[in-house]
Amino acid sequence: MLIIGVDTGGTFTDFIWQDGDKQGEYKLLSTPQNPAAAVLTGLRHIAGNKSYRLVHGSTVATNALLEKDGARTALITNRGFEDLIEIGRQDRPELYQLQVVKHPPLVPAEFRYGLPGRVAQSGEIIEELDETALGPLLDELEGANIESIAVSLLFSFSNPKHELLIGKHLECLGLPVSLSHQTLAEFREYERTSTTLINAYVAPRMERYLAELEAEVAPNRFRIMQSNGGSISAQTARRESVRTILSGPAGGALGAATIGRQSGQHKLISFDMGGTSTDVSLIDGELPLTTESTIAGYPVKVPMIDIHTVGAGGGSIARLDRGGSLQVGPQSAGAEPGPICFGRGRELTVTDANLFLGRLIPDQFLGGAMTLEPAKVGQSMRILAAEMELDPAELAEGILAVANTTMERAIKKISVEKGFDPREFCLFSFGGAGGMHAADLARLLQIPKVMIPTAPGILSACGMLFADVIKDYSQTVMLGQEQLSPARLKSLLQPLERQAEIDLQREGVPQKRIELQPLLDMRYCGQSFELMIPLSAEFIASFHQKHAQVYGYSNPHKPLEVVNLRLRAFGRPPRRAAQQQPACGPVPEQQAQLGTSSAVFSGQACETAIFARNRLATGNQIQGPAILVEYSSTIVLPPDCRAEVDPYGHLLIELQGVES
Amino acid sequence: MKVNPILLQVFRNRFVAIAEEMGVCLGRTAFSPNIKERRDYSCALFDARGDMIAQAAHIPVHLGSMPLSVKAAIAAVPMVAGDMVMLNDPFCGGTHLPDITLVAPVYLEASDQPAFFVANRAHHSDVGGMTPGSMPVSTSIFQEGLIIPPTKLVEQGEIDHKFFDFLLRNVRTPQEREGDFAAQIMANLTGVDRCGQLIAKYGQQQVDLYAAQLNDYAERMMRQTIAAIPDGRYRFEDSLDSDGFSAQEVPLKLCLEINQDQAHLDFSDCADQVTGSVNAVYAITLSAVLYCFRCLIEEDVPTNAGIARPLRITTRPGSVVDARFPAAVAGGNVETSQRIVDLVLGALAKAIPARIPAASQGSMNNTSIGGLDPRSGQPFSYYETLGGGCGAGARLDGASAVHSHMTNTLNTPVEALEYAYPFRVTKYSVRHASGGAGRQCGGDGLIREIELLAEAEVTVLSERRSTAPYGLQGGESGKLGLNQIIRQGQRVLLPGKFTTRLKPGDRLRIETPGGGGWGEKET
Repeated sequence: MLIIGVDTGGTFTDFIWQDGDKQGEYKLLSTPQNPAAAVLTGLRHIAGNKSYRLVHGSTVATNALLEKDGARTALITNRGFEDLIEIGRQDRPELYQLQVVKHPPLVPAEFRYGLPGRVAQSGEIIEELDETALGPLLDELEGANIESIAVSLLFSFSNPKHELLIGKHLECLGLPVSLSHQTLAEFREYERTSTTLINAYVAPRMERYLAELEAEVAPNRFRIMQSNGGSISAQTARRESVRTILSGPAGGALGAATIGRQSGQHKLISFDMGGTSTDVSLIDGELPLTTESTIAGYPVKVPMIDIHTVGAGGGSIARLDRGGSLQVGPQSAGAEPGPICFGRGRELTVTDANLFLGRLIPDQFLGGAMTLEPAKVGQSMRILAAEMELDPAELAEGILAVANTTMERAIKKISVEKGFDPREFCLFSFGGAGGMHAADLARLLQIPKVMIPTAPGILSACGMLFADVIKDYSQTVMLGQEQLSPARLKSLLQPLERQAEIDLQREGVPQKRIELQPLLDMRYCGQSFELMIPLSAEFIASFHQKHAQVYGYSNPHKPLEVVNLRLRAFGRPPRRAAQQQPACGPVPEQQAQLGTSSAVFSGQACETAIFARNRLATGNQIQGPAILVEYSSTIVLPPDCRAEVDPYGHLLIELQGVES
Repeated sequence: MKVNPILLQVFRNRFVAIAEEMGVCLGRTAFSPNIKERRDYSCALFDARGDMIAQAAHIPVHLGSMPLSVKAAIAAVPMVAGDMVMLNDPFCGGTHLPDITLVAPVYLEASDQPAFFVANRAHHSDVGGMTPGSMPVSTSIFQEGLIIPPTKLVEQGEIDHKFFDFLLRNVRTPQEREGDFAAQIMANLTGVDRCGQLIAKYGQQQVDLYAAQLNDYAERMMRQTIAAIPDGRYRFEDSLDSDGFSAQEVPLKLCLEINQDQAHLDFSDCADQVTGSVNAVYAITLSAVLYCFRCLIEEDVPTNAGIARPLRITTRPGSVVDARFPAAVAGGNVETSQRIVDLVLGALAKAIPARIPAASQGSMNNTSIGGLDPRSGQPFSYYETLGGGCGAGARLDGASAVHSHMTNTLNTPVEALEYAYPFRVTKYSVRHASGGAGRQCGGDGLIREIELLAEAEVTVLSERRSTAPYGLQGGESGKLGLNQIIRQGQRVLLPGKFTTRLKPGDRLRIETPGGGGWGEKET
């Protein structure tokens, strides 16, 4: 069976396909006006008349939110709380700014409606819903040309009666309706309302997009990637669109975890450096999940793979600020005008610095499809260096050093700040610019090993091929320690489990392939952040242990509480093991070496061998300094590094002098 | 030694990363919602003299006052490795009693002098005193809670339990305090550890050099910013509503003198210190001034001691902006600090009118509620501040329902509140049409209405209930804030500062002030 993974990105739409033992990749320029166009063109190119299965990471929901181009949405909530989404958490995004600029609410005041009726935290109804108010409301909604509706009432997760009633009344409008207890049955009204509202806001855009694809792709063979690292059917994606936000980076992290596991690397820090930003994620055997994401300033509380993004990439601009400090990013030259070496840019970027130092080979960029211009870079580098009273090469290495510090800080945030020692991990590098920085970054963090997969430029699409079906369920229960009997937890979990089994069967997963993983969000009484702990016989001990790891202390005498129950439901299809290639000995064949160039490392110009990565074979070893070129990326091997091609074609770089 | 622009940036990143990591640790491990959900805390790094090297962007009111705490701790108590000194004495390095600072030295092996200090400060929701929440309508510091002069809480790695037990016996919610103090200790341990790693990697000499260079860097940025302001003397007056005891306004006056790349702020003509708790100690005035000038720098500069160097501040001891022992100061930190900002920005508006926005709500609307929770039989103590309207500027309307200037704490979610306290929130909305009119409109305040489900003592410390947030360049002022009790359907208007007992079923309704408008409204 032909399986195709597709990841729509800002510049390129990436395809990867697998058909029995055969595998291939394909890249097309994206079509931002109508993203389906590039997807369909690529699918036709790869599949021809053959039938296929498709897993797709779409940016439709993300872009609708980033560009504020979602549906005309109404919000129905409790009377007196209509402005909740405007107030948010009452904080401002920037501390030292004379005028505060807040993120505007996705629904303006005129489309926010409050209804009388109130539920208490216990689930008790204190004030009945005034159903007579619903008639005029329906008229108003019809008159306002609303495309989508979100309903979010206080404590609806404790008692959904009022939300369900409202939903029933709204049915006659024939519009998509998102009820907060169904989107996210968890406490903290602003975050729940925001998540529900985003779902309602992006759903009609998703519907339009999927309908266009379904004109050509059979609906039951068509799956959508979610930000939690799993896939769902296109049908489910229409109802739960918020779960598809940021699915591209999730595909990357999933690809890293899967490839790493295959090669025996279970502890990874994934490092995806692109043109304008870098995504990092810590994988300790499993993909990390967070429920505290914020996208474009709006909280999204559904579980997502925990990916941290910083504004440093190949296109980050270097400049001397007026206080005399070298700044690199967050401004980026982007694709237009791009770095100076692309021909049109005027400001020095990280990519220019790499080129100046000889780490990027001018005639090997994108397989030679694009020629870089070193002369222009040299001129700009000398001018800025003179201004800073530095040697030009010193400046170029400085630009890389500053960019690397930003990325080092990003990696410390996801490791050290969460109680992990990065030295115990392998740095898994991908993205267009990752390979040029990975070894230096690893040395900064004293990480002994770097792994660079085959085709690092399309890893996200590749990750999608590996995606299980995953559905997440949660329910706020707020149980004190004395209420935590196994029987009680079991009975509370039952409705979630029942729902999960129905949903997964509907997703086409046979019963025997369904796997349920119950989790608890726990905290010490009085705390306001929770830790996610797998439900096992020792969950209380696990909580104390995890608390000690993440926060540095635990107190087994302190009472704790379970805030939320969670259930992750997996549908794991059978998979073929990847094929190993036989080893070919340490010396690369002669045609693999393309020549040499002079590259600067720590102030020294070194004669540096250039290799074509696709001509390297399993078992080949290369001692740095060396540069490996391939279609979508360049890999820099500084001195004191040795690379070896593993049985799957991935590159493992060992840093000499860094102890593992 | 020549400064390298590359290393300058690299070190800047590293220093801030340490302060931020301390903050993450403190915010996450603390027990009380006040610290964790509302993030009412700050963390910073200091050199051997107590000059600030880096502060994580947390709460501006802690800006200038953190270094004074560290200096007070250094002066009062010699610290060896593993020690931590605690303090909250407003007349010895503190600001008001709920803000408790913990200072720790960083020692290198083989040195008998500390190389650095790390410190963190957190707002505790109760430190004893006459009303729950320790933000009372008081007349002397002794009514506001436990005064902690610089005292060792941790001695060579061991907590001094005698002192600790004594401390906990004097507060209303000792378990919560215990958890919060543990978090503060952890945050400092993290900071000490990371500083040690930094020095191990780069050597003390280089770390010292770049700590100093970063201060020079921030100083250069500040001097260039001041140099862009026309030279001259700019005067401005504003006032506090009252001290909560007399009906009289408390006038504040500032003469700002810009002379090339330096600024002199003379507060000598501000009123004498008052009976009520709106007195500000010098540290607060310093913080407010630093905040305003820091905002003038458009770039992202490190907040450190260098910023203060081009600024000279004159205050009159015994005045409301430089209060002396035993003045009541609970509200100085939260309310007077906001007015000092209004004063400084008002003066700057005369020098650079196009850049300065009108007055924001000018209050934090401090609300404390305490009593016995009938659900558990345990005492509870709740403290929260409320956002309001922001002032409009030359090109932008003011933002609505948000914290401005000296604070940026989060609200407590309604659902979190109702789980934790015997309350029901009956309204939480934007206070529409409360912003001042103008070419650009001031932002609106907000309305928060809470119904009590148990008998409780309520204290509100708020401002801008009789003197409105000013508009600028012809814009109108924002609406005054309003405090009310709703009892059996009857609304009772209450003053800006009060303490009262409420019964189950009573509602406390607070409407926060709007921001001032900017420019004349076009007709």
